[in-house]
Formats: sequence, C-alpha cells, structure tokens
Amino acid sequence: MSALLEVTDLRLQFGGVKAVDGLSFEVREGEILAVIGPNGAGKTSAFNCISGFYLPTSGSVVFRGMHIVREVPRIWHTLRLVQLLQRFGFYRVLPSRVTKWGMARTFQNLRLFRELSVLDNVKTAMHANLREGFWSTLLHTPGYRRAEAACAREAQGWLDFVGFEDDEELYVTQLPYGEQRRVEIARALATSPKLLLLDEPAAGLNFSEKQSLVRLIRKVRDLGVAVVLIEHDMGMVMELAERIVVLNYGKEIADGTPAEIKANPVVIEAYLGVDDDTEPIDDTRLRSAAVSAAAIAEALVDAGESSRGNGGDER
Amino acid sequence: MARDLAGALKHAPLRAPAPLFERPRAAGGIFDSQRGFMRALGGLVVVLVAVLPFLDASPYTISIATSALIYVMLCMGLNVVVGYAGLLDLGYIAFFAVGAYVSGIFTTVLGFPMWLALPATIAACIIAGIIIGAPTLRLRSDYLAIVTLGFGEIIRITANNLDITGGPSGIHGIPTWEFLGWSFADGFTIAGLEFPERVVFYYFVALVVIVVGVIGAGRLGKGKLGRAWKAVRDDEDAAEAMGINTYIAKISAYIIGAVWAGMAGQLMATHLSAISPNSFQFLYSALILMAVVLGGMGSTPGVIIGALFVSLAPELLRDFAEWRYLIFGILLVVVMLFRPAGLWPATAVLPWLKKRRPTPPPFTAAVGAYEPNEPAVEPSVMESVDGLPATDAEEGRRA
Repeated sequence: MSALLEVTDLRLQFGGVKAVDGLSFEVREGEILAVIGPNGAGKTSAFNCISGFYLPTSGSVVFRGMHIVREVPRIWHTLRLVQLLQRFGFYRVLPSRVTKWGMARTFQNLRLFRELSVLDNVKTAMHANLREGFWSTLLHTPGYRRAEAACAREAQGWLDFVGFEDDEELYVTQLPYGEQRRVEIARALATSPKLLLLDEPAAGLNFSEKQSLVRLIRKVRDLGVAVVLIEHDMGMVMELAERIVVLNYGKEIADGTPAEIKANPVVIEAYLGVDDDTEPIDDTRLRSAAVSAAAIAEALVDAGESSRGNGGDER
Repeated sequence: MARDLAGALKHAPLRAPAPLFERPRAAGGIFDSQRGFMRALGGLVVVLVAVLPFLDASPYTISIATSALIYVMLCMGLNVVVGYAGLLDLGYIAFFAVGAYVSGIFTTVLGFPMWLALPATIAACIIAGIIIGAPTLRLRSDYLAIVTLGFGEIIRITANNLDITGGPSGIHGIPTWEFLGWSFADGFTIAGLEFPERVVFYYFVALVVIVVGVIGAGRLGKGKLGRAWKAVRDDEDAAEAMGINTYIAKISAYIIGAVWAGMAGQLMATHLSAISPNSFQFLYSALILMAVVLGGMGSTPGVIIGALFVSLAPELLRDFAEWRYLIFGILLVVVMLFRPAGLWPATAVLPWLKKRRPTPPPFTAAVGAYEPNEPAVEPSVMESVDGLPATDAEEGRRA
C-alpha cells in the first residue's frame, strides 16, 4: 500500500507554545486511521496544518505527491517578510487548493452554512467540479442547466448515502444535531476526496447515532476514501480504527493497531498519569478517560432513573 | 439522462452513488410554487412600471420614477456585495461616482457617443473594484467597513479636486443616448401618445437596463458563484475547506457590485445631464445600504422594495416640509423593530406555501440510517435528560 499522506517532522509554534512538536505519520490509501490524545495534545492543530489552515513552523506534508507546506527561500526569512508574503498567498497552499487535490475535512464544532438549505450546503462543496461560468449563469444556457441538474443529483446522492432522511429544503439550523453531523459529512464527501479528515465526528451524538456513524465511516472507506479521525470516544476508536496514532504534548507517543495501543504503557500513562503507589485502577468507567459508548449509555440510564425518582417525589 | 448529466461535471475521482429514490418534480404554476409566483409578480410589476408614463407623463413624476429605477439598480449591485457575499461596504457610492464620471468625461471632454462610453464605464468599474478590493478584502467585517468608507471619500475628494472632472462644479451638458444619428432628445410618439421630453423616453431605457440588471443579479445569486458568496458570508473558513477560493469569490462579488453601480452611474449621468461631487457623499452610501438592509439582505424582491422606499418616501412625504426626514427616520425605526430581518427576507416563504411539506421519501435502508431493531437507549430516558417534554409513557408513570 502506498502512502497517501506523509507528514514528516511537523512543527507548529504559537509564540513559546509548541502545539505540534515533531509529528510524523503516514496515511495509506483506503485505511481508517484514528488520531487520539488527551485534550490539548495538538490533534486539531495538526489537522489544521495538514489541511492548509495553519502554516506550520517547519516540517513537510506531502499529499498524493504534492507538497502542502512550501519551502520559503532564506532571503524572505532574513528580511522577515515571510508572514506578509504568506498572507498574500505566496509560498503557501490555500485550503481550497488542498481540497481540490482531494482532501476533505469536517470541523470539530459544526460549521455548516447556516443560511443555506441542506441541499445547497452540499452543492456548495461541488464548487470546483462545476462547469459554470459567469455568462452561462447570466444567460441560463443549456450547459448551465445541465450542470445545475447534475449538481443537484450528485448532492441528493450524497445525502442518501449518509442516510439523511429529512427535508432537503430545510435550513440546516432547523435540523437536529445528529442530522447536521450527517449533512457535514455529506458536504465533505461532495468535494470528491481521496482522504477525509473527521475532527471529532461523534461529539454530541447519542449511542445509536454513534453506531450508525461507525457504519457510515466504514462505508466511506469502502468507496476507496481513506479516513483519518480525531476522536475521544475510545469505544468507537477501538471498534473502527485499523491503526491508531497517539499524540501527547504535540508529539507522537505511539502508533499501532488498537490492540497494541491498548496495551501500551506510555499511552495509559498519558491518559491516566502515573500513580505513585502503582496501584492498578479497577474502575472501568474511569479508565476510558474519554468515556466509552457503553459508559455513556449506563450513565444516561442512571441519570434518567434519578431524575424520574426526583420527579415522582415532587408530585 | 444520468449519462447526459455526468458530462456536465468536471472529472472528479469520486462520484456520488445514484440517489436512492427520484425526487418528485418541483411544483409549477403561479400559486403552487414560490418561483412561479415570483416570476408572475415580477412580470406584473414590470408591466405596471412600463404603463406609468401613459398614465402620468409629467416631467416631475417621470424624473422621480427614473431616479427610483436607478436606485433599484444600485441596490441590486450592493445586494451582491452585502447581501450575498456579506462584505459590509460603506463606500459603495464611489463606484456609482466612477461610472457617472467616466461616462461624463468620455461624452463631454472626449466627445464619444454615449453607447461607446458604456464599455469604458464597465472597464473603469472593474479596475476600480480590483484597486479597492484587492488590498482590503483580506480584512474582515468591521475593518473592511472602515477601509471602504475611506475609499468612498477618496474618490469623492479626488473628483472635487481634479480639473478633468470639473472640480466642485462637476460636469455639465452630458448628452443623452443616440443611435445612428437619432437621439433620444428628439420627440417620440408611441400609440398615439406623444413624448416630447427626452426624460420620458429615457425612462424606458432605464427600465430595460434595470430589468436586465435585476434578473442578472438574481441569477448570479442562484448559481455556483452565488452559492460560493453565500458560503463565504456564512462561514469563511468552512467555505475555504469546501474548495472555494474565498479571496476570488469576494473580489468577484466586489467587481460585479462595482459594475452594477457603474452602469447605474452612467444612467444617472445621462438622466440628470450634470453631475457634481455633492451627489456622491457618504450619506448616499448609507442610504443605499439602508435600503438593502431594510428590504432584506440577499433577497431580490426585498431589495427592490427597500430601494423604492428609500428613494420615494422622501418625495411622498414632501407635504410635511421640514418634518419629512424625521418621519422618514421614524418609519425606518418602526420597520426595523417589527421586521428585523427586513421587509421581505431572503428566507421568506409565501404564507400559503408554508404548511405544504414535500411528500416524505419512501423508507430506505440507507447506509447510515437508524435501524429500529438496534439496542438503543430507552427514548423516555433520553428525553428527560435533555430536559425536553417527557413521552406519554413517562407521564403515565409519573401520574
């Protein structure tokens, strides 16, 4: 299997803070890779560097043979003009270009276009693939009509693929949270990617929604799209991922299959810290620092029972 | 049909699977669909506006009506910038000034006929749009507003101080449109009615240009470019992640806005036959912006209503003499209090179409779809946790 994405020695510094500190990993074609790590480990920062939103301090990101991080000649460094030049689009690859190369992403906090309908949200993602010009739009030429029809059909196809079953003409703000998540994945897929970056796709989803998300991600992989996901839900990560990269303090601390990661003492230390008495921790619910699906379900049942009990007392 | 459509898209590595079911065709007809109704309404309005000179051809009425039409054109242009692309532009009148001055200079100083000045106006506005847009569009909202405000003033003050623009007194004697030696200044007879004044016939020219301008801006707002603008307005980073070069999207909105304003400026220069820097003060930028916000940002009917309101209300309130601007202001406040999203918001649905929901899709075993036999968490538990009203079953248990 050839590498689709190669990240080598990626570093990102905000002033004195090293958000990403020498991260290296690769994504192979058609695999599901999970990136995990405690809060603040630099997962999202690394994602932002890879997708072109942040300019890393150093390192290289190669996606399908194309360099996402550009080398800046030394002269601009000495003249201290690097930031200015990059601001105006020199020596950097814009996120829109990265998307055209075939890398799609979703955001940690949903970022759908609030004043567009569901269908238009997905259509927007097909921007780069549409044959529509200024004049054909003004004159509504047959070519324009065909492009719009094809675009609508494609968008409907993606919405059906992710299992969206509501009304496509609704505004996204009118949808429940779980459906919004689905629309966001449909939107990312509509950019026609080879690699899909999902930033905490299961955040805020309930148990059954998580289950269907797992199925959906597998289905996306079956299309030949590699999936990289950042996730805190260990149950989901262990079930889904073929390979896991663990970050802490911007560094990669482990890389391996779920079974290897589970047994890795460094990972356990990163999540739980070192106990002075080296006493084994028995509480399974506490062990999965980012709560597992089963624990969530249990907690919900508990909470439901207690609130029901309170309600009864009041009456 | 599907094969036909595939060629309409550029080659992409990943294609969506075919939709699981064919969507029902959108309803047609005037009262059954929003689109049909809007088209019929638009046609009716155009006819009404076109018969106005046959009812009242006094120079005063026609002059006000022409100004109102030019306002509509101007507001449609600003609607592209502010309503679609979400770029707050406080110096929009600068492009209006560029259009008016370029056409004025070309016809009076250089002696070109008016129709030859049109491409020059458009070219000048594109250049002006790029000059003003390129450095400023990296900025976000508030900063952009301040910078555009500055540019608006720069254009006005430059016009005030240059010789070629006639300084503070401006340009006089701008000729009207003429084709093949036949000028619109000559009298004209339609259907037994004689229009001796050039203003009357000019009204029709303005009407045609404005109808084309309104339809064009509306169409641009619905296509690929329009979606890109709206995406940039709603969330710039997400738009960038969708493969939209946000900088190009923003600058194209700016250029199209500039061209619309420039054409309105040329119409205005011909209409008044004299222009001076006083016609391009900040006040007018604010008025146009107000018309767009008042009518409903991004909504074609709303913006037209807003433009007509802003241009006609001071005239209709003329009886109140000095009080008219006070009343105008109060009216605006009242409108914004009761219709904060504008008189006709972009998201508005015709009241009798609101209840109509599309037929539900046939049940599909879609990939990610929820499967009913799944061991899910008990629904009543979920709901009481969410703080939502409990289900009937739960109510029963409580009682």
